[in-house]
Parts: sequence; C-alpha cells; structure tokens
Amino acid sequence: MIDTGMKVLVVDDMSTMRRIVKNVLRQIGFSDIMEAENGQDALTKLKAGGFGLVVSDWNMPVMQGIELLRAVRADAELKTLPFLMVTAEAQKENLIEAVQAGVSNYVVKPFTAEVLQGKLEKIFANVQPAKSS
Amino acid sequence: MLVDRMIETKVSGDEEMPTEGLNEKRSINEEMQELAKYVEVITKTIREMESPVTSTSDQLPQATSHLHDLAKMTEEGTHKVLSLTEELERNREVIQYQLEQLRANVAGRAVKDLDAILTLVKADEKQLLNIHVALSFQDLVAQRVGKLVTILNEIQHKLLKLVVIFGIQQQQGGPGASGDGRGYEMLRQLEISKTTALQQDLVDSIMSEFGLS
Repeated sequence: MIDTGMKVLVVDDMSTMRRIVKNVLRQIGFSDIMEAENGQDALTKLKAGGFGLVVSDWNMPVMQGIELLRAVRADAELKTLPFLMVTAEAQKENLIEAVQAGVSNYVVKPFTAEVLQGKLEKIFANVQPAKSS
Repeated sequence: MLVDRMIETKVSGDEEMPTEGLNEKRSINEEMQELAKYVEVITKTIREMESPVTSTSDQLPQATSHLHDLAKMTEEGTHKVLSLTEELERNREVIQYQLEQLRANVAGRAVKDLDAILTLVKADEKQLLNIHVALSFQDLVAQRVGKLVTILNEIQHKLLKLVVIFGIQQQQGGPGASGDGRGYEMLRQLEISKTTALQQDLVDSIMSEFGLS
C-alpha cells in the first residue's frame, strides 16, 4: 500500500505535464502535491523538507532531472528519498545513467495511469522511505 | 601540376626557347585560359547563390518563430482539454454521489437499474484519466520542436558562414547563430530516437536486470 498522505514533488518544465502527473497522483490518492519547474527549483524545495517522493522529468532547463537525482543522492538528508523519473529520454544509455545515479524507477512518456501507479507501488513495496526532515 | 610546370618553365629561362619549350608554354597558356573560364563560372555561380542563401538565412528565424508558436498552441490547446476533462470529472463525481444517494432510497427494479448506471459512471473515471494522460503527447511535441529549432539555428549559422566565406554581403545573424554543433547533435538524437527509443516493457526488462523492475 502506498502512503498517500506524504508530500510529493512533481518536477517538470512543461506546465501541461505537471498538471497531468498531478491529476494521476490525485486519482491514486495523493493530495499534498507541490510543483517545481526545474531541478534547481526542486532542490531548493526539497531541502526545505517534508517530501516523501519526487516525480521528475529528465530534460529541463537550469538543472536537468539527472543532475537533480545526483544532487538528491549526494545529500545526507535526502539520499533515501524515492525518486521516480518520468521522461521522454528513452535511450538505453539514459536509463543506465539513471540507474547508476540511484533512480528508484523509470517511466517512459507517453505513459498510462496504470504504469505510473504500478511503478509507485513497486517503489514503496521495495523501499522503506526515510522522509526528509 | 600546373604550378610545377610554370616553375619549371621559369627556371628554364626565356633566352633559350627550344621548340619543346614553346609547345609547353602554349599548353600552359591553354590551361590558364581554361582555369580562368572555370574561375569565371564559379564566380558567376557564387553570385547567383547570393540571393537564395541570404533570403534563406533571413527566413530561418521566421521558421523557428513559427515552430515556437506551434509548441505554444499545442500547450494552450492541451490546457484547454485538461480544464474541460477536469470539469467533466467534477460533474461525474457529483452524478455518482447523487446516484448513490438515490439508490439508498429506492427498492426493487430501480436498484438494479441504478447499479447499471453507476457502473458506467464509475468506468468513466478511468477513461477521463486516460484522456489526461494521453495529452502528455504535447510534452513530446514541445521537446521535438525544441530540437528542430536548434537544428534550424545551426543551419542558419552555416549558411551565414557560407555567405562570409564566399564574400556575399552578410545579412544580420539573428538569434541562436552560435556554431557550437548542437544542431548536429539534436539531429542525431532525433534520428536515433526513431529507431532506438525504448518502450516501457523494454525499460522494465533492463530495470529488472538492476533489480528495479
């Protein structure tokens, strides 16, 4: 079971994608959802604390999703935070790069609501998230 | 080569001009004439290129602007459809609630009929969500348009380079004319994505190799 009471950060430079992902998350049961337009914006919000999950795009200006992932994994407070990459970057080398950087799971756009929900269930089944403070 | 033969001719001197030397000089003259004709043709061709090259490099910023507009239009259209489906979902929730209230107050055949209606109304929730998710195509369109804009900027830069190299009067460079090779890289990425982009099932298979299925 997913703890839908946690705070989620949706990171994407496209406002349409943030809205779509938020709607899917709401349908799953999440209600505390925040947004960030790029990795830098996301990192600032994450460091403020309280998030239990990050759903991030890869290709963004200022700071890309992969850089955000590395920054999260390098931060003592955030390193165990579940991190789902939802991206159009669907080359094998991207996937391997993300896995090596410590991604929790990976969804390729265009995706379905079932795939997103399935990935979240797997993340929370396998990982005991240590919520950032 | 022509240059070597000219040097040889100069070295041999003009004071003593044997028949063989005269023939060679004539041959060199003929080659020089051919070369001059060739240079003339090339010059003419370059002059003819001036108009299409400069007009093309002038049009490219306009083309990139149209592409940006296209991305913007799809974004606005997507938000509109999202708003409408969100409204439909809100209405659907109200209908479902009202039907459930009604069902609690009826008996007999009406209960069966209301259950059938409720099943349909509940099924619409999933379909509305699928409409939402299907709209993620807009993000893919915007990303591809972004790559095309980079490619066009690179082409424009190369055209302007031609203009400079051949001495055609240069028009203003326009935005994004930096020659950092990103256009080529984007074109390569677009080409690669046609054939090697991973589908979710393949992604899952690779993820499972890392224990992250």
